[in-house]
Amino acid sequence: MNIVVNGNNRTVESPPLTPLLHVLREELDVLSPKAGCENGGCGACTVLVDGTPRRSCLTAVGSVPDAQVTTVEGLGAPESMSDVQQAFVHYCAAQCGFCTPGMIIAATAYLEGGGSADRAEISEALAGHVCRCTGYLKILDAVAAARDGGFDLSTTAESPHTTVLT
Amino acid sequence: MKAVGARLPRYDGVGHATGRTVYVDDVRVNGMLHVKALRSPYHHAAIKRLDTSRAEQMPGVAAIVTHADVPLLVYGHLSALGIPADEPLLGKEDVRYKGQPIAVVAAEDTDAAQAAVDAIDIEFEELPALFDMRKAFDADAPQIHHWGTIYPHFEGEMNVRQIRKGNVEQAFEQADRIIQGVYRPAAIEQMPLETQVGLSVPEPDGRFTIYSCTQALYFSMGVVAAHLQMPLNKFKFVGGTVGGGFGGKVDTATETLCTLLAQKSGRPVKWRWTREEEFLCSSTRAPWHMEIIDGVTSDGWILGRKMLTLHDSGGYARFSPYGVTKHSFHHTGAYTIPNLHFDGYVCFTNRVPTSAMRGYGVTSVSFAVETHMSRIAEELGVDPYELRLKNANRIGDTSPNGIRYMDPSTVDVLHAIAGATDTELAAPYSDATREMRSGEWLPGHLVGQLSHSEDH
Repeated sequence: MNIVVNGNNRTVESPPLTPLLHVLREELDVLSPKAGCENGGCGACTVLVDGTPRRSCLTAVGSVPDAQVTTVEGLGAPESMSDVQQAFVHYCAAQCGFCTPGMIIAATAYLEGGGSADRAEISEALAGHVCRCTGYLKILDAVAAARDGGFDLSTTAESPHTTVLT
Repeated sequence: MKAVGARLPRYDGVGHATGRTVYVDDVRVNGMLHVKALRSPYHHAAIKRLDTSRAEQMPGVAAIVTHADVPLLVYGHLSALGIPADEPLLGKEDVRYKGQPIAVVAAEDTDAAQAAVDAIDIEFEELPALFDMRKAFDADAPQIHHWGTIYPHFEGEMNVRQIRKGNVEQAFEQADRIIQGVYRPAAIEQMPLETQVGLSVPEPDGRFTIYSCTQALYFSMGVVAAHLQMPLNKFKFVGGTVGGGFGGKVDTATETLCTLLAQKSGRPVKWRWTREEEFLCSSTRAPWHMEIIDGVTSDGWILGRKMLTLHDSGGYARFSPYGVTKHSFHHTGAYTIPNLHFDGYVCFTNRVPTSAMRGYGVTSVSFAVETHMSRIAEELGVDPYELRLKNANRIGDTSPNGIRYMDPSTVDVLHAIAGATDTELAAPYSDATREMRSGEWLPGHLVGQLSHSEDH
């Protein structure tokens, strides 16, 4: 069977019940989706399948023939980052970075679906994604700001949630 | 000094946001083998028979390592500090926690490795297990560790970490009230998103390149070198990209066994734990049992503290003696108490061994101390800020282990909290400073503990 990964036609030889995560990482060498739990619990493996966020660890590759699969590699390279990617850098929304590919994929789908900058709605959209480092606030800042775009990547933004002790 | 005070972008932010960051599981080498472990299904058991001969014949199996393959089987996390070791890299005569590794298989893929694990012939005799650290002190407690149920090597041959400062009995006689509390935080899994993972690559010159998710690279290198009884220059460690650690990646979980398997098979060996293994078999933050008894005056000065701490070490000691020592140094929290009597025990149970997590040994006591401070304030009817500001560490005060505080932040932090929560503090508390005690801030019981800068 074939799938289209980040615009490239790829032939898949793994058996149809192989998780898409395994196909991407082990057969096709697309490494940004992460194996955090392989049980659908953490969201680190999330990719876009025909524009919809899916847990690639729970998606049998045979169930998505000829699908358009998008990972963060396909959203933008370092020199051509999308607004969401730029916002994650600008707001330090990635700390260890392991959950970041899934977060960015989910945030991208949320904003492309007309999502607002309302933090409660962003929280709802990202509810299936576990981050152990950031406490989520910088991620919410980044997604809210990504709606407007335009970041100076030579610096980082001050989070509105940051309280500086004097 | 261009960076100090500046808002700089994360050096690794672009890599994270574009999926280019290379974690250990993303490293690709040709001919890589994959690992599965035979782990104890029992909390405590004797190993009566272990035979890997059938498993070795299974398809796709390249190497199996058991205790018999480890040059130095027992090496401790604190061995380099001269503290005796107790934990075998792989179970030999017995297993002391559920999930303890006994044998590891390297095979062409994880399915083949798991099939070989299932084919290992092993017989256990289940033994009584101990789960409640308080029962470690019972005369009839199950004997679960060759050192007994209490770690016996503090200061050489003591089974307790002690602090004695001032005269706590006298302080209790002078106190208006005795206020006590018991605090028992539970175990917590560090739960990094990236599970334990390592990759060891044998090089043509006899060295090993080890890709590691460790939080403590040179420490892990020393542990691998010690178990293999090889010099440090035989190992090149590649680290620095950690998919979350929170203390759980201070222990050396995968690197040593990957390297033994790489040595035996002559091929690169990767071992990535499943989420289930991470939860069930990796170290956790310890459960603690803390009893605090304070002698206080009715206006909120703490004259003396007696404290008993039990620390659940799980099946082996690992870093626990260090954790309890650090805990003892911090058992007055951010406050100055001149008369102290502290006893801390490291208890062995048949739980998974416990280890570092975010403020090792200190977070537990901070929880207990701050809760106890609020309890004292409530029982005395004293304002909780005033109680804390009275007893707050100030320059010249001394810690439980006699260190002079040079840069204490308690007063500043309390003022910041009051400010952030719109809490009005009355004089003199609103004007308190961290400067050396004098006048109303220096009651008689605190005079003797003061240390002047010329003392240090």
